[in-house]
Amino acid sequence: MKYFIKKLITLIMTLFLVSVAAFLAFQIIPGDVVTSILGTEATPEREEQLREELGLNKPPVERYFNWVTDVLRGDLGESYRFSKSMNEMMPVAELIGDKLPVTLWLAAVSLVLIIVIAIPLGVLWARSSSHFLDAVLGVVTQVSMAVPSFFLGILVTYLFGILLKFFAPGSYVSYQEDFGGFLKYLLFPALSIAIPKIAMTARFLRNSMLTELQADYVRTAYSKGCTKRRVMYGHVLRNAMMPVVTFLGMIIAEIVAGSIVIEQVFGLPGIGRLLISSISTRDFPVVEILILYITFVVIFVYFLVDILYRVIDPRISEV
Amino acid sequence: MGRRDSPVSPAPVFCKLRKVRGMQECRMSGRMEDIMIRIEDLSVAFGDTEAVKHVNLELIDGEVLGVVGESGSGKSVTALTLMGLVADSAQVTSGRVLFDDVVLREAGKPCDKALYRQYQGARMSMVFQEPMTSLNPTQRVGKQVEEMLRLHTELRGEDRKQKVLEAFRSVGLREVEKVYSCYPHQLSGGMRQRVMIAMAVILHPRLIVADEPTTALDVTIQNQIIELLREINQKQNNAMLFITHDLNLARRLCNRIAVMKDGEVVELGETEEIFQNPREAYTKRLIEAVPSRVKRRRNAAAESGMGEPAGSGPDGKIPAGGEAAEKAGTEQEECAVQGWNTGREQGAGLERSAGQEKSAGLQECAVQGYRKPILRVRNLSVYYKDGDNSLFSRRKKQCVVFGAEFELYPGESLGLVGESGCGKTSLSKAILGMNREVEGEIVHTTLRPQMIFQDPYSSLNPTKTIGWQLMEPLRARAALDQAFAMTREEMETAAYDMLHKVGMEDKYFHRKPSQLSGGQRQRVSIGQALITHPGMIVADEPVSALDVTIQAQIMELMQKLQQEMHLSYLFISHDINVVYRMCDRIMVMKDGRIIESGETEEIFNHPREAYTKMLLGA
Repeated sequence: MKYFIKKLITLIMTLFLVSVAAFLAFQIIPGDVVTSILGTEATPEREEQLREELGLNKPPVERYFNWVTDVLRGDLGESYRFSKSMNEMMPVAELIGDKLPVTLWLAAVSLVLIIVIAIPLGVLWARSSSHFLDAVLGVVTQVSMAVPSFFLGILVTYLFGILLKFFAPGSYVSYQEDFGGFLKYLLFPALSIAIPKIAMTARFLRNSMLTELQADYVRTAYSKGCTKRRVMYGHVLRNAMMPVVTFLGMIIAEIVAGSIVIEQVFGLPGIGRLLISSISTRDFPVVEILILYITFVVIFVYFLVDILYRVIDPRISEV
Repeated sequence: MGRRDSPVSPAPVFCKLRKVRGMQECRMSGRMEDIMIRIEDLSVAFGDTEAVKHVNLELIDGEVLGVVGESGSGKSVTALTLMGLVADSAQVTSGRVLFDDVVLREAGKPCDKALYRQYQGARMSMVFQEPMTSLNPTQRVGKQVEEMLRLHTELRGEDRKQKVLEAFRSVGLREVEKVYSCYPHQLSGGMRQRVMIAMAVILHPRLIVADEPTTALDVTIQNQIIELLREINQKQNNAMLFITHDLNLARRLCNRIAVMKDGEVVELGETEEIFQNPREAYTKRLIEAVPSRVKRRRNAAAESGMGEPAGSGPDGKIPAGGEAAEKAGTEQEECAVQGWNTGREQGAGLERSAGQEKSAGLQECAVQGYRKPILRVRNLSVYYKDGDNSLFSRRKKQCVVFGAEFELYPGESLGLVGESGCGKTSLSKAILGMNREVEGEIVHTTLRPQMIFQDPYSSLNPTKTIGWQLMEPLRARAALDQAFAMTREEMETAAYDMLHKVGMEDKYFHRKPSQLSGGQRQRVSIGQALITHPGMIVADEPVSALDVTIQAQIMELMQKLQQEMHLSYLFISHDINVVYRMCDRIMVMKDGRIIESGETEEIFNHPREAYTKMLLGA
């Protein structure tokens, strides 16, 4: 329990520091929101008026505290750029709430693919005494890791979309309309994200298992009369998972923050694209909230990894 | 429970009943018609190098055969081949291994793993050296022992658990239910080894192979484990192949002993026969190399006619204060200063001959009396902070050494004896200034005491050359104090010089640690510690990772250097025999306190504390 409280305090402090940093960053970087909204032709009066509307004329410290208290109350602010109707700006919450499920589902599907494929592949690789399989897997994973993700996205589109016609490129179905179709469409961008990660994870797991196989307890297991299969799955795998879990944590943190390139290639309205466009138009309320979101996700995922560590390895002190 | 109750389903090859023979008979009969294990002309090679060469060994039921040799002698490879556990890269190039006339392994044929699996665990089992790493760290120990039953018996659920608990009780574990659900790291070293033994004996195998089962344990625990193995051997009448580098241990446990060297069995015979009349020169050397209390201690001081060991009066007490001492003190101070200068010059490679003269002078000075300690520790308590480096929790301070008080005199070796966890390493770290969480007083007259570490394999940087490593302390010293700045040539000369001093040739200067043997590495470690001429050395188990003959060489070297360079050693060890040989005075440490100290002979002949008696009896 004490452990959880400690973790929670760390989380809050980190979020606070990040929020200050995010806020400050936009005070420092050049570029004016007002200019980017109104264009360079606007009159000074109009600019002044907009500044007042947006609250930009107040001192930064006051603005920061207003923003934080609003966020804490659940009001994430309004976008500078997107309007809901003629005289109402789009609330950030709504804007992100719309796109977040796309990114999260994409991440989930990718993660499932990674785990389901990479772990058996890694074990198989470590077990194999065949030089041929070893060489083939070595080359395949090497190539998969080296190919840039946008190109992989294009390859997947071409192979599964155009040649095999498993899906129609560009025919994104919103999750509100047809959830099944949405997931089916997601499978392919998820695959594009997963392929390099699968290669890395499998490679990682294999190396970790090969190291573990040198350990004394493996010899003990053989001395009992265990088969190789039993030694692999019963003894080695769990011990070998430790570094892999850290690695998976890093991958999760990365894909949950939105895969900008893949979202772009497959035309997915996710967080990644929103982030890029918001930065370029200086839509600060959106960017700031996205930064906080990503920070939160990363810390939370590492927290989960930490818990998982304790589950896998009893030597790490109990929670 | 008898072996007949054993749940192992007998394989067809095991039709004949075993004869239970008396121990005496076993010893008498080197050869009986039904020999259980027969290793015939066995050679095992890794690539081009033969690790085992034409080994012949036989074992009958109930017999304990010791295989003694140093690392690289092929004793472990022989055992692993017998057990079917040797790496796939190993090839049996000649001979065969038989278990009750069944060929388990034969030259030119690959290892039949399916056949071996019928024997592994059920008919022959193994106890390994390192009980910590030999158990799976992420599985409860109960489950790990239970796996034996899972693999070889028809027992189910609760029955299995009961049998495991029974096995735990039979190896002297208490609170067996609790132990059952523990992970290896929650048990002490001795308990882990008991678990390993429980695992090895649970199916009542006819052969137990014990590969250095006590090497990683404290002396007192070592004894208990040896007793346990003896007891099991007598109760279950199983044969045992006992592999060790320690002749004394083999002597206590084994009926017969095979001495191995460079992959060959050089001598094989009844235990006492081997000890009384060793035929081979190597066996003699091995027996002599074992530091033993029976032999006269070779004392550097005594040999050079210096009379009483440094710093200890005839009554075994340290004379403190007193007129004579004071007088000698001033003299000694000069000596110390002179010693420092000498050291620096020698290090710089200048005036080397002059340096030698001076060190000769130093000895004289030493003989006249050194009553001023080079190190004085007063009421020293050492703490250690809990590792959790968190913002929120206050770090807990734990006291590991309580009120230590002692002195170390120039030219003297002071032994610090105790079991692991008693605080001896914490104490030495405090003296070296590596732990600053201390209370009390540490005064040393030398600038910077140096340390020799236990494991020469991991304490040298594997990526740097020996020369570089020898020069590193000089560079470090120069970085701290400009007065010690040296040119590259000077440092190199000093390094070569040191290389000679520790008995190594020039060519090693450009080698990396991986190209050196364990003994050579430890020589480099010693050189590293001495190159700044510290006057005082803390040696933390400097020989316990080495083979016996190498151990003897390193101890000799340390004694030689002590004499030449007038060094003081604080010698930490758990090996009472090593300490006996090396030290003038001994301190016994237990649970963070120094419970007894005195002159070596005094402590050995008239120990006061019960704990000391126990350590000595071990």
